Amino acid sequence: MGGPERKARRDIIHGLESVLHAKSLQIGYLNGKPAKKVIASGLDLELRQGEFVCLVGPNGAGKSTLLRTLTGLQPALDGEIYLDGKALSRTSRKELAHKLSVVLTTPVEVGAMTVRELVAMGRFPYTGLFDRMTSRDWQMVDVALAMVGAGDFGDRMVHKLSDGERQRVMIARALAQEPRVLVLDEPTAYLDLPGRVAVMSLLHGLARGHGKTVLTSTHDLDLALRSADRLWLMSREGTIKSGAPEDLALSGDFQRIFARENVGFDSRQGHFSVREKTEGIAMLEGEGEARLWTERALKRLGYQLADGTEAEEPLRVAVIQDENEIRWLVATDQGHEAFSNLGDLADFVKQLPKNQDFKPAA
Amino acid sequence: MNADHQIPEAETKRNARLWVFVLLVIALLLVVGLNLSLGSVRIPLKDIVSAILGSNDVKDSWVYIIQNYRLPKIVTAILAGIGLSASGLEMQTMFRNPLADPFILGINSGASLGVALAIMGTTMVGGVFLPAMTELSELGIVLAASLGAGLAMGLILLAGRVVKSPTTLLILGLMFGSAAGALVSLLIYFSAPDRVKAYSVWSYGAFNGVDWQQLKVMIPVIGGALLLLFFLPKGLNALLLGEEYAKTMGLNTNRMRIMILLTASILSGTVTAFCGPIGFIGVAVPHISRNLFKTSNHKVLIPAVILLGAIAAVAADLVAQLPGSQLVLPINVVTSMFGAPFVLWVVLRGKRGGTSFTV
Repeated sequence: MGGPERKARRDIIHGLESVLHAKSLQIGYLNGKPAKKVIASGLDLELRQGEFVCLVGPNGAGKSTLLRTLTGLQPALDGEIYLDGKALSRTSRKELAHKLSVVLTTPVEVGAMTVRELVAMGRFPYTGLFDRMTSRDWQMVDVALAMVGAGDFGDRMVHKLSDGERQRVMIARALAQEPRVLVLDEPTAYLDLPGRVAVMSLLHGLARGHGKTVLTSTHDLDLALRSADRLWLMSREGTIKSGAPEDLALSGDFQRIFARENVGFDSRQGHFSVREKTEGIAMLEGEGEARLWTERALKRLGYQLADGTEAEEPLRVAVIQDENEIRWLVATDQGHEAFSNLGDLADFVKQLPKNQDFKPAA
Repeated sequence: MNADHQIPEAETKRNARLWVFVLLVIALLLVVGLNLSLGSVRIPLKDIVSAILGSNDVKDSWVYIIQNYRLPKIVTAILAGIGLSASGLEMQTMFRNPLADPFILGINSGASLGVALAIMGTTMVGGVFLPAMTELSELGIVLAASLGAGLAMGLILLAGRVVKSPTTLLILGLMFGSAAGALVSLLIYFSAPDRVKAYSVWSYGAFNGVDWQQLKVMIPVIGGALLLLFFLPKGLNALLLGEEYAKTMGLNTNRMRIMILLTASILSGTVTAFCGPIGFIGVAVPHISRNLFKTSNHKVLIPAVILLGAIAAVAADLVAQLPGSQLVLPINVVTSMFGAPFVLWVVLRGKRGGTSFTV
């Protein structure tokens, strides 16, 4: 490929406009015991138009500090952050509020306020000294509510919302600021699992469907891996690796950062699992969903699925599926034991003597 | 950009609010009228306007009582109620704490210390603190209280420039209050009983010590601070979400903090200087307002606390007169004794409706 063509391709790949750019950024705190406490330095980071980036890393890596620095809530110790090409240190709070808005971790405790009133606070940077809302301001409030799928609860009181609904409303408030960049600090922290999935898919949709640039920190690695366009992988040492989730998983970076004794990242399945001591090898017969869940049960019990290379005699389990019932057979010395559910099967397998030779099922 | 995007609930809600405001104005006129009419001497309601205007149709003594005694007292009560309630609202929002009151940063402690020094400091160790002042005029007490409150206010503003965290500011205020309280206790301990009594009388609070001369100072000072306050609802609303959110919405939180501290300490400091440390109104009225109007919006709450604060103070004074008797109770006794159960009821009821903060 010739020079110009190659360049054209690069432009397609990197053609997305850079919205936020940090250059040799140093983050940390100024008034620590040693004059300053540096959390990370030499960071070069970039957020591009319309992408959904998840900042992940172990507890204490400094994710919140980074987000607070990027949003101007605390000063950078060194280096510079550019928003739309303009240095953050030379941007006024008001100007910044027009371009960037946030959702913080701590849930806000407000009462005697309707959802609409709360979202209307997002218009703060646009209204005058006396905060008079124009019809365009109210329109933006409605648009923001609709964007988070909360169009129908504008008149409800904030303190009566569920945690998940409240988080949606806080995101709507941030959207009412009409930001180019939306930064969220662990928006899923206080939510139940369906709530987490909903928030992450909402953020994904805001980036994909509405062209917002979304940066969020999260502890939901599974969800981040599945929905982020890019991950910022922050290590305890204060380095950040940026890349597509899949690339970071393939390269092993993801696994390295989250390495723990008992928790392993299954890069084939793409999720974390408790790494149990291996109890033995199992051979599984069966198909479909029932097979999948049986496999999960066996893994939980510490069995690895046989791939035919093991010297050890495997535990043989068969899933037998009729029209309206599922039965499980486990081969034993005396023939086989039948079960009508996986719980009973697990109880039986647990009390089997270890490393025992099993005879093939009849 | 069409009419659809006007707030749907706005019309009905605004009308309902307007009616509550009208009712509050009527209530204020009612308590003012009753307060002018009742007291040790009963003056019929119908003659009050004539007495205010100094008409010859009514008894001279009535004109004298109304013009020189009851009217200034009621104006003072109204100003005090407004000042305490408005500054209480500001403090509750700034500290996001329902228990905050105008004195949380030690304004009243400063004023108390000033007055205690003026009244009792002379007897201690042969007048180390102040030159001997045998008879302290009411004006002297006001001056002493103003100096004390001013000192406290200066310290608060100074701290407000340096200290960024509201919690730290709160702790500083509490510590200052404790230290000032300790000094006052020390003065009381070493003072003659008559001086202690004089100090106690001041500390009970009263609206009737302020004459027209002093009101010439009190009215413009309170009025000026209120005028400033009318520029703050937007920032106060933003602070409901906390300082960090307010910052990311573009609020200059440092300037806002100074504005809040300035207006709140002028309001509460002036009231304390002229009327003594009057408790409860400043913490209760903002709660009642939020519950009555079911909102945390300061554009509604500021006019609401102004009206309700005036009503509360005038009503408290009315009760303190114990109409029909010659006795007059200290204002603080009334605000606490009648106010406490009322606020308890409002707050317990309000928990279901949701107040601005979690209690």
